[in-house]
Amino acid sequence: MHGTNAADSGIATRPDRKASAKTVVWDIGVRGFHWSLVVVVATAAATGFLAPEWWLDIHVWAGYAVGILIVFRVVWAFYGSFHARLSSFLFSPNDTLRYLRALLRGKPQHFTGHNPAGALMVFALFVLLSALLVSGLMVLGGQENQGMLSGIVAYDAGHGARVFHELLSILLLFLIGAHILGVVAESLLCKENLAGAMLTGRKNRRSASTHPVPGTASPRRALLAIAVIAAAGGTAISALARMPASGLVEMPGNAVYLAECGDCHHAYHPSLLPASSWRRIMTGLPDHFGEDASLGRQTARELATYLAAYAAERWDTEAANNLRRVAARDPLRITAAPYWTARHKDIAKAVFAGKTIGSKGNCIACHADAATGRFDDQMIAVPEKQISQKATWRQQ
Amino acid sequence: MKLSFAPLAAALFLTAIAPASAGPDQDSVLTYFQQRADSAASPERGKSLFEARHGGGKPQTPSCTSCHGGTPSETGKTRAGKEIAPMALSRTPQRFSDLKKVEKWFRRNCNSVLGRECTAQEKSDFLAFMMSQ
Ligand code: HEC
Ligand code: HEC
Ligand code: HEC
Repeated sequence: MHGTNAADSGIATRPDRKASAKTVVWDIGVRGFHWSLVVVVATAAATGFLAPEWWLDIHVWAGYAVGILIVFRVVWAFYGSFHARLSSFLFSPNDTLRYLRALLRGKPQHFTGHNPAGALMVFALFVLLSALLVSGLMVLGGQENQGMLSGIVAYDAGHGARVFHELLSILLLFLIGAHILGVVAESLLCKENLAGAMLTGRKNRRSASTHPVPGTASPRRALLAIAVIAAAGGTAISALARMPASGLVEMPGNAVYLAECGDCHHAYHPSLLPASSWRRIMTGLPDHFGEDASLGRQTARELATYLAAYAAERWDTEAANNLRRVAARDPLRITAAPYWTARHKDIAKAVFAGKTIGSKGNCIACHADAATGRFDDQMIAVPEKQISQKATWRQQ
Repeated sequence: MKLSFAPLAAALFLTAIAPASAGPDQDSVLTYFQQRADSAASPERGKSLFEARHGGGKPQTPSCTSCHGGTPSETGKTRAGKEIAPMALSRTPQRFSDLKKVEKWFRRNCNSVLGRECTAQEKSDFLAFMMSQ
């Protein structure tokens, strides 16, 4: 039926017990992994689909936890007890088809460990979760300039990965649904509570099953493998994490700019408008949005050069990439740009007009990191919590 | 002739009306405008300049109080939503200590509110009023 047996792979075997007795099939490693994964994936899904974007950190931590769990499970697939091992649930295509046909007839063969359909599900979930993890890290690194890939993933790549990440996450929901259906179906057909078995670890061993008795796990070897992987992975990750975010430009501080353009509103980060808009603003200061903001000619020229040099074109951040495209009828206003209005459409006018904010242009009232140009999701906090619940961390 | 009196007049005036909080920097700023004004600074005229609704400037800002708050001791707010510390010297002791800054804002704000530069007389009236507050 399946290629390996306990003796081949050097697993210690115990003497067979009475047929149909309940034995521990799922060891503590498998059960712990399974239910931790349930909690972590539920957290990631809830924060991904429902939570507002300032919850991004929780979503990201859930993603890292998925990664750690996957590494553990892969190691356990070699050093766990018999039914945890990959070798115990590798079925040939023929075996799988035969099983599926029997299942369709309503008389599936009983397996002590994973049946062939369950094994397929395990592989599909493994591939899908890994792809979700990688695409998620790319979104985080490319679009948000955060996380271990921020030094090597450009905005466009991160933005593309986002589409992928969202498609995969929907696919994951379907797979989870299929998995639950499969468990319910087999539990009914084989008259065995499979969900309960994943809690207690105990399943019926039937004579029909051709599995050898469970081999014992080698936790020490597993631990060693995990230590080696952690050391190698940790070194690589910390090297990646130390790379400066690729989207950010090193920009010298400019005290004159902060002083001259920071009296009536906070000094807008140069990355928030393209150079052409900054040039027009700097030549029109005597009538600046209905106000006289005139400067001496020398100062005005210096600041115009500074702003044009560090304008949106230079940066690869989420804000700069999107705010580069200004509104044709109002090219001097950040708050008129199509991206800006789309991202803030769920915020009521009254919130902007409220006492603590005062105007749309007061970015720093809601974005604590506005002065850096980053506009991180985690740094968003609307002082008056009147923002519509529709606003989630997903993009429009 | 009149000009030579101005510093003396200013000094006298300062001892008469300026509160203890006006430091040497504020004194020299006020003196600078006094020397260029026709008559002694009048806090009353400064008050009405501050409170009046003028025409001729930009429609968004008919009065100094459009931004600076209803009274000198109130915190104001720009049209862009940023707070402005009270103008009264007793409330914000760093005020009016830098001539270049004072000149820059008179130029801008008088233009926005009145549609023209303020005269040295108006400036010294305004400063005298704020320093007495
Ligand atoms: C005298 C006050 C004042 C000064 C000084 C000033 N601004 Fe402004 N600025 C404003 C006002 C008022 C608005 C419009 C606010 C509104 O309509 O909500 C504005 C708006 C802006 C906007 C558009 C913000 C948006 O809503 O998208 C930019 C960009 C800007 N200013 C840049 C500058 C720069 C650069 C300087 C320095 C050279 C500067 N400002 C100095 C008063 C000022
Ligand atoms: C009233 C509070 C408020 C003000 C003021 C405000 N924002 Fe936002 N901004 C938000 C909220 C809330 C979101 C998240 C919206 C969502 O759920 O997509 C956001 C999202 C953004 C994003 C996308 C961030 C991301 O990573 O998804 C950018 C960029 C941004 N704002 C820029 C600005 C700029 C520039 C200004 C000032 C010109 C500004 N905002 C003013 C509340 C505000
Ligand atoms: C459009 C808003 C606005 C209006 C209207 C306005 N101001 Fe101002 N004013 C400001 C801002 C902003 C500052 C600088 C912020 C600060 O110093 O705290 C300022 C600063 C000043 C200063 C310099 C203060 C110092 O500490 O040196 C003077 C003087 C001044 N304003 C006078 C006036 C007068 C006189 C009027 C009416 C004719 C007026 N302002 C109207 C916004 C305004």
